[in-house]
Amino acid sequence: MLSPQFRFDPYAAAVDADPFPFYKTLRDDFPCFWSADAKMWVLSRYDDIVRALNDWQTYSSAKGNLMDELPNRAGATLGTTDPPRHDRLRGLIQHAFNKRNLDYIESHIREAARDALAGFADKKSFDFVEDFSSKVTVKVLFRLLGLPPGDDHIVRDKAVLMVQSDPVTRQKGPEHIAAFEWVKNYAEKVIAERRANPGEDLISQFSLAEIDGDRLSEREVLLTTTTLIMAGIESLGGFMTMFALNLADHAEARRRCVDNPALLTDAIEESLRYNTSAQRFRRCLVKDTELHGQVMRAGEFVCLAYGSGNRDERRFANPDVYDIDRKPKGHLGFGGGVHACLGTAIARLATKLAFEELHKAIPDYRRVEETLPWMPSTTFRSPLRLELARA
Amino acid sequence: MAKIIYVEHEGIEHEVDVPDGWTVMQGAVTNGVPGIEAECGGSCSCGTCHVYVEGEQASLLPPPEDTENAMLDMVAAEVKPTSRLACQIKVTDALDGLIVRMPASQG
Repeated sequence: MLSPQFRFDPYAAAVDADPFPFYKTLRDDFPCFWSADAKMWVLSRYDDIVRALNDWQTYSSAKGNLMDELPNRAGATLGTTDPPRHDRLRGLIQHAFNKRNLDYIESHIREAARDALAGFADKKSFDFVEDFSSKVTVKVLFRLLGLPPGDDHIVRDKAVLMVQSDPVTRQKGPEHIAAFEWVKNYAEKVIAERRANPGEDLISQFSLAEIDGDRLSEREVLLTTTTLIMAGIESLGGFMTMFALNLADHAEARRRCVDNPALLTDAIEESLRYNTSAQRFRRCLVKDTELHGQVMRAGEFVCLAYGSGNRDERRFANPDVYDIDRKPKGHLGFGGGVHACLGTAIARLATKLAFEELHKAIPDYRRVEETLPWMPSTTFRSPLRLELARA
Repeated sequence: MAKIIYVEHEGIEHEVDVPDGWTVMQGAVTNGVPGIEAECGGSCSCGTCHVYVEGEQASLLPPPEDTENAMLDMVAAEVKPTSRLACQIKVTDALDGLIVRMPASQG
């Protein structure tokens, strides 16, 4: 179908800032859209995305899942393999992320939040990203993965940089690749250290694990560990920041959460639906597939726009309203299917506890800047800085 | 397509038409049926989609494989002879009418 008027360019700053009007046009007029800018198909309706997520035999992850893939990563991580290999890899890691195994980390999350709050106790305004979400996220992740303290600040900066793309050259720039290489080298050192002195931690177990009697390949161990660091830090931090933005912009919802912290659970789920930081991931077609009158060919890439599916009025009533009473079952904020986010339980737990602590110290806050500096990324969406003022 | 009847621990029933090739877990999660968490997304590695299967169709299910049995050892609620992981039950037309009951807790 020719659509000369409409473009969907995930590299455009306008899409970083506000993808939702583009998504609406995609859903209504071009539900199976060839984006010449992204060089891939874009699926934007909830039902189509869910069908693709549940059909890995057609929509494969083995050629990468990030919109702009990092070099030599595809095929060696959880997000970039298909079953049955994926399931065996996930089986080695999942236990560390299961809800029932996370009790031990609750006190660490609260402590990390209180430490961060102490750092700006006397300031009238603060950058939620720099002063709070980054610090909490890095401490929680370092604890979860058993990483040695000390390098946390630089690890965080590199993890955030590696998920970005250059909006001008429309690909990963040298600084993004360098950040990826830096985190990879960091992971390599941690793995070597753990193999020399193995402990009970996840990386020790994973780096020595076998599947069906075969050791994992070095590439699998290294890139999976690198991805855990990247996803853990960038995705959790990005989501917390989006949640803060929503509560800053919706004072009534925030007040209710402050008065009754149990409501944070529902507010978090609605935030995952309303504007999840994980906006778009991709798959690669294994076979020719027809959808909405279009024929997509084997070998072509397909963008699954979770952020659009979450606003699909065919699935959610009044989708553009942030409504903490909605309880949005089946939202795509963590993706879905076998590749549904590994860190759902830790993300929900860390966000809830961090905001409980934040609200004890700062119950009222508002956004300072009308226009936010959005991260240039084709996959993720969150502001690089979020100035909040105590109200 | 098969109609799967999900019964919450408290007795609330949900009838869902689940497409062929999907799993019983996918049918529940996609349609917002409470009581199945499926933290691992269906990779047979978390034990949070534990169900008890009932109805005459239950006898049609292939027996659990080793990985499913290993995860059933780790579920939070009581394991019974009818215990299965919903992510490992592939839906076919023959399963039309299958009843799956939720345990008291997934963990």
